[in-house]
Amino acid sequence: MTDHVARLYALAVAVLVFLVAWAAVADRPWASASTATPDPRVQALIVKQQRVRTEALAVQRVLAARRQQAALASTTPPPAPSVRVVTLPPLTITRTS
Amino acid sequence: MERRSFRAMGTVVELLLDIEPGAESDAALARAEQEFERLERLLSRFRPDSELSALNRLGMIDAGADLVAVTTLALQARERTGGLFDPTVHDALVAAGYDRTFENLSGDGPPVSAQACGGAVRIEGRTIELEPGFRLDLGGIAKGYAVDRAADLLGDVGPCLVNAGGDLVALDRSWPVGVETADGQITLALEDGAIATSGTDRRRWRRGGAEAHHLIDPALGLPAASDYLRVTVIAPTATEAEVLAKAVFLGAPVQAPTVLVTTGGQTVLAGGLG
Repeated sequence: MTDHVARLYALAVAVLVFLVAWAAVADRPWASASTATPDPRVQALIVKQQRVRTEALAVQRVLAARRQQAALASTTPPPAPSVRVVTLPPLTITRTS
Repeated sequence: MERRSFRAMGTVVELLLDIEPGAESDAALARAEQEFERLERLLSRFRPDSELSALNRLGMIDAGADLVAVTTLALQARERTGGLFDPTVHDALVAAGYDRTFENLSGDGPPVSAQACGGAVRIEGRTIELEPGFRLDLGGIAKGYAVDRAADLLGDVGPCLVNAGGDLVALDRSWPVGVETADGQITLALEDGAIATSGTDRRRWRRGGAEAHHLIDPALGLPAASDYLRVTVIAPTATEAEVLAKAVFLGAPVQAPTVLVTTGGQTVLAGGLG
């Protein structure tokens, strides 16, 4: 084996070692280790966010229903009272208040 | 038929409930009576400890739901009647001599003087603020409101009628109601409606040797001069009937709902009776 061939082998081994090391670093084994036990405060915030979203949706539904009722009420006048003159004896008398 | 009478808001209140007498009717009548007493404690300008008196004294308070509701209704009525109905006539009423309950008014007093009306009233949430120099009188509209609330309570139990010295609501059946006319009385069969009458034939007194009364013309700040002796209005609620009766008495055009007007000599149907 000549020196030239030996250098080529050495270079190939060096490139291989570099690529293996790159792949190992890119895999970020430390990150998966840290997310395996999530922070309870973050979890609580996520739960709270979901609850607030649900409540906001419920409030929007109630508001929409109330707006609809108010719109109906504003367009529908109250029924006119029924009144007529009769000859019955009155049960009570209304005077100037 | 159950019937109960008591005094509240300066008049005799009559409750009629058309169900079998018993514990349920007794409880409903008691609730309605308590509602009158509760609202009088809040809304009377003659009671120094009322919420209304606190507002008139301080100019701004965080009020309860009822004072906010009645003040709001009064301001809406002022808007709707172009100022003929005005809750800021308190000082004009006092200057006209109506400075204590009607039963305690003295025989005569100093002449009536005009007082400005039409003061600004701001309501924001539960805060009510009066323009400096103005105070509220909610007498008539508060009585109408109390009649409507008491009728709501009784109406949950059965057909009912509430009559607070002329402000009247009849629910859930036809009730024969006597209405004073110039030469006697007619009977109206009223169902699911209210009657109120405004006039100068009852609450009147003398000041400076002249007749004075409680219906203030807000434009003048003085007891109003009207062509009518009495105006009776039939409307869906006692609150509305009270406002409309006062507005027609002070010169609002007579339109539906039903209106009976009495001049010195006669009572005529001015609109609406079908």
